[in-house]
Amino acid sequence: MLQSVVQVILAGLSTGMFIWLVASGLTLIFGVLGVLNFAHGSFYMLGAYFCFTVLKYMGANFWLGLILGPLCVCVIGFIVERFFLRYVYHIALPYQLLLTFAFVLIFDNLVKIVWGAGSISPPALAALGGSVDVLGRKFPIYNILIIVVGPLVALALWGMIEKTWWGRIIRASSSDREMASAIGVRVPALFTSVFVFGTWLGALGGGLAVPYVGIMTSGMGETIIIEAFIVAVIGGLGSLKGAFVGALVIGVLTAFGTRFFPTFDMFLTFILMAGILLWRPQGLFGVAR
Amino acid sequence: MKLKSWQMALVVLSLLALVGVGLFSGRFMIYLAMRVMILAIFALGYNLLLGQTGLLSFGHGAFYAAGAYGLGFFGLHLSSHPLLGLLAAVVLAAVLALIIGFFCVRHTEIYFAMLTLAFGMMVFSLLWSAREVTGGDDGLVGIMRDPVSFFGLLEIPIGKDRQYYFLVLAVFVLSAWAVQRIRLSPLGLALSGIRENANRAEFAGLSVKNYRLAVFVISGAFAGLAGGLETLLESNARPFMAHWGHSAEPILVSLLGGLQTFAGPLAGSVIFIAMREMVQRFTENWMLWFGIVLLVIIMGFRGGVVGVFQRLIGQAGGGR
Amino acid sequence: MGDLILQIRKLTNFFGMVCTAKELDLDIEAGVLTSIIGPNGAGKSTLINLITGNLPVQSGSILFKGREISRLPIHQRVRLGICRSFQIVNIFPELTVLENLLIPTLALSGRTRRFFAKIEGEDRARDQVKNLLEKVGLAGVKDTPANVLSHGDQRLLEVGVALAVEPSLLFLDEPTAGMNPVERVKVLENIRQLSREGQTTFVLVEHDMDIVFSLSERVVVLHRGDILGDGTPEEIKNNVQVREVYLGDSV
Repeated sequence: MLQSVVQVILAGLSTGMFIWLVASGLTLIFGVLGVLNFAHGSFYMLGAYFCFTVLKYMGANFWLGLILGPLCVCVIGFIVERFFLRYVYHIALPYQLLLTFAFVLIFDNLVKIVWGAGSISPPALAALGGSVDVLGRKFPIYNILIIVVGPLVALALWGMIEKTWWGRIIRASSSDREMASAIGVRVPALFTSVFVFGTWLGALGGGLAVPYVGIMTSGMGETIIIEAFIVAVIGGLGSLKGAFVGALVIGVLTAFGTRFFPTFDMFLTFILMAGILLWRPQGLFGVAR
Repeated sequence: MKLKSWQMALVVLSLLALVGVGLFSGRFMIYLAMRVMILAIFALGYNLLLGQTGLLSFGHGAFYAAGAYGLGFFGLHLSSHPLLGLLAAVVLAAVLALIIGFFCVRHTEIYFAMLTLAFGMMVFSLLWSAREVTGGDDGLVGIMRDPVSFFGLLEIPIGKDRQYYFLVLAVFVLSAWAVQRIRLSPLGLALSGIRENANRAEFAGLSVKNYRLAVFVISGAFAGLAGGLETLLESNARPFMAHWGHSAEPILVSLLGGLQTFAGPLAGSVIFIAMREMVQRFTENWMLWFGIVLLVIIMGFRGGVVGVFQRLIGQAGGGR
Repeated sequence: MGDLILQIRKLTNFFGMVCTAKELDLDIEAGVLTSIIGPNGAGKSTLINLITGNLPVQSGSILFKGREISRLPIHQRVRLGICRSFQIVNIFPELTVLENLLIPTLALSGRTRRFFAKIEGEDRARDQVKNLLEKVGLAGVKDTPANVLSHGDQRLLEVGVALAVEPSLLFLDEPTAGMNPVERVKVLENIRQLSREGQTTFVLVEHDMDIVFSLSERVVVLHRGDILGDGTPEEIKNNVQVREVYLGDSV
C-alpha cells in the first residue's frame, strides 16, 4: 500500500511539474498583461515538436533540443504579441480570449501540416533511461529530474521577480500599469518581454515533456492548457506561488484519481476548480481584484 | 424599432429561400441548411447572454448536451413524441442552467468565463464517464424520429430529412422571432443596461444578479432546444456536445457575424457552416483557415460581417 | 421640524487602519435640503457609499423611514426610495439618452421583467421619461447615444437617471462638477424646484461653497469621519471650529 501511494505521489509530482511549467508562463502573462492566453498550450506543444525536430535531425542531442526548441518558439511568441495581441489589450475580454483561441486553431493545424496528422513517438532516450529503486519499485531517473527542475524554475522565477530590476518593473506594472508608465517604464516593451519569457517557460515544459509523454499529438497543447487554467484559477489568477501549489495539488490529485477512481478523475478536478472559485474567487493565493 | 423596407424584404426573401431549399434542394443541401438553423438557434440564444448582457460563457455546451441527452432519454424511456421530447430538452437545459447559473452569476468577466468552463467540463466528464447511463464516449444512439402526432387526430411524419427539415425550419423561425422580441423588450433594454454599466443598473433599481441569472437560463434553454434538434437530426447524442470546444462555437459564430446585432449570429451560422464545407472539400486544413479568418475579424472587423455590411449601407445611404 | 427620513446610528467604517466613519450619528429630515461638506478625505463619499449600498456596512445601523437598510443590496434600497448620482459620470454609455432614462423608469414599475412586450408599448414609462427629459432639459438630444453628449449634458443625464427612480431621498455627489455656468444654474434651479415640490429630499455633497450656502437649508460638516458642525448655513459660517479646520480663509 505504502509503495503504491509513494509511487502515485511521485508520478503526480512529475505530472504537476509539467503543468507548473505551463501554468507559470500563463500566470506571469496574466499577471502583467491581463490576458488569459489560450494559445499557451500551443507553445507547450510547439516546444515539444521543435525539441523533437532538433533531436531528430541535429545529432540526436536532447539537451541541444531543449535549448534550441524553446528559443524557436520564443520567436513565434514574439510575433504573436508584437503584431497581434498588442492591439487588443484595450478592447473587451471576449476579443482577447478569442484572439488567442484563433492562434490555438492555427498552431494546431500548422503542426499537423508540418509534422503530420498522426501521433509521433519520440525515440527512446537511452541516456536518460535509467531508473532508481524507490521502496523496492523502479522509478525513472528522468521523472526525478523533472521533480527537481520544477522547484528550480520556481526558485529562479521567485529570485528574478523579487531581486532583479526587471522583476521590480514587473511587480510595479502588474499592480499599477499607469503608474509604471508614468515613472518611465516602457510598458509595451515590458509586455513583449514578459510574453516572450512566458512563452519560453511553456515551450520549455513542452521540450521536457518529449521523453516523458511517450506519444506526441497536435492536441497535446489543448489538454494541458485546460489543466493549466485550472491550476492558475485554483492558485489565484496572477499568483505564481498559487500556480506552483495548485500544480502540485492537481498533479497529485489527478494521479490518485487515475489510480483509485479512474472513471471520475476529470470530474473531481473540475469540482475542485469550481469549488475553489466559488469559495474564494481570487484563488488560494490571489489578491481580490 | 420599425423594420426598414429593405430589412423586411431581406426577411421575406430569406424565408422564401429557406422554404425553397426544403422543397427543391438535394439531400445534402437540406442537411446543411438544418445544421445552419440548429447552430443559429444555439447562437441566437447564446448572444442574448454575450452580445446583450456582456457575459462570456464557456459552458453553454453543457446545456446543449442537456437538451440532446434530455431528448434522448425522454425518447428512449418515456415517449417518442418529438415535440414532447423537445419540450423535455428545453426544460432539462433550463433547469441545469438555473442550477449552474445560480453559482456563476455572482462573478463576472474572467471568473465567470472560468466558472462556466469548469461546470461545462464537469457535465462533459460526467457524460463521458458514466458509461452505464450515458453510453460514455459512444453517446446515446438509436433515437428515432417518430411522427409528430396531435392527440392522435393528425400525424405528420418527420422520418425523412426533407420532412424533418420543415419542423426544424418552424422551430428556427419561432426561435428567431422570440429572441428578437426579447431583444426589443423592456427586459432586453435592462440587459443592455447591465452590459453597459452593472453598477448603474443596480442604482436604476435592477437586481443585476437575478437578471443575469434569467438571461443565463433563457440562453441555456435555447441551447437545449438546439441540442434536442440536433439529436433528432443525427439520431444520437454525444458527450462532445458539452465540451468547451463546442461551447466556443456560438461565440465564434456570433463574432463572425457581429456581436451586438440580431442578424449577426444568423449570418455567422451560415458563413461558419458554408465555410467549413467549402474548406473541407478542398483541404484538410479547416482549423488553419478558420483561425486566420478569426484573426482578421478580431484585428480589423470587430463588427463582424453584419457590422461591415451596415457600414456599407450607411455610407451608401448618407455618407455618415 | 419634518419627519426623520434617515437615521444613522454609530456608523463606523475602516479602510485598513484608516477610519472614514467614526461612530457616526446623523439624522436627515424629510424635505430639508441638506449639504454635506468637508475637506478631501473627510469621509463624505464613504458616507454616501455606505448609505446607498456601494460599500458594505461594517458596524452601526441605518434606518430609512424607520426601516433597517444597512444589509440590503443596492437595488432594494433604490426600490425603497434611496438613490444617488455619482461624481464621475456613471451612465449607460452606448445607449441613447431616452434609453438611459427608460431603464430606471421601467425598473421602478417592475416592467423590466417583461421579456415579450414591445418597448414602444410602454406608454406610461415613455410619458414619465418625456417629463423627465423636459425637466432636465435633454429633450432635444433624446436619441443621441450618451457617450457622445457634451460633458455637461452627461452630468444632467446622470442626475436625470437618479431622478427617474422617483427617490424620496436623493444623494447628489458634486452634481455640478464640470458644468458650464448656464448648465449649473439650470441644475441648481431644478434641484431647488424639486426640493420645494417636496417629493424628494436632497442631500448634496459639494465643494463649491457658493452653491452650498445659497442652496442648502442645513449644512453638515464632516472631518476625519466625524461630524464637526451641523446647522443652518449661517450657523456653519460662524462656527469657529469649522472655520479653523476647514473653511479657513475661503469665507
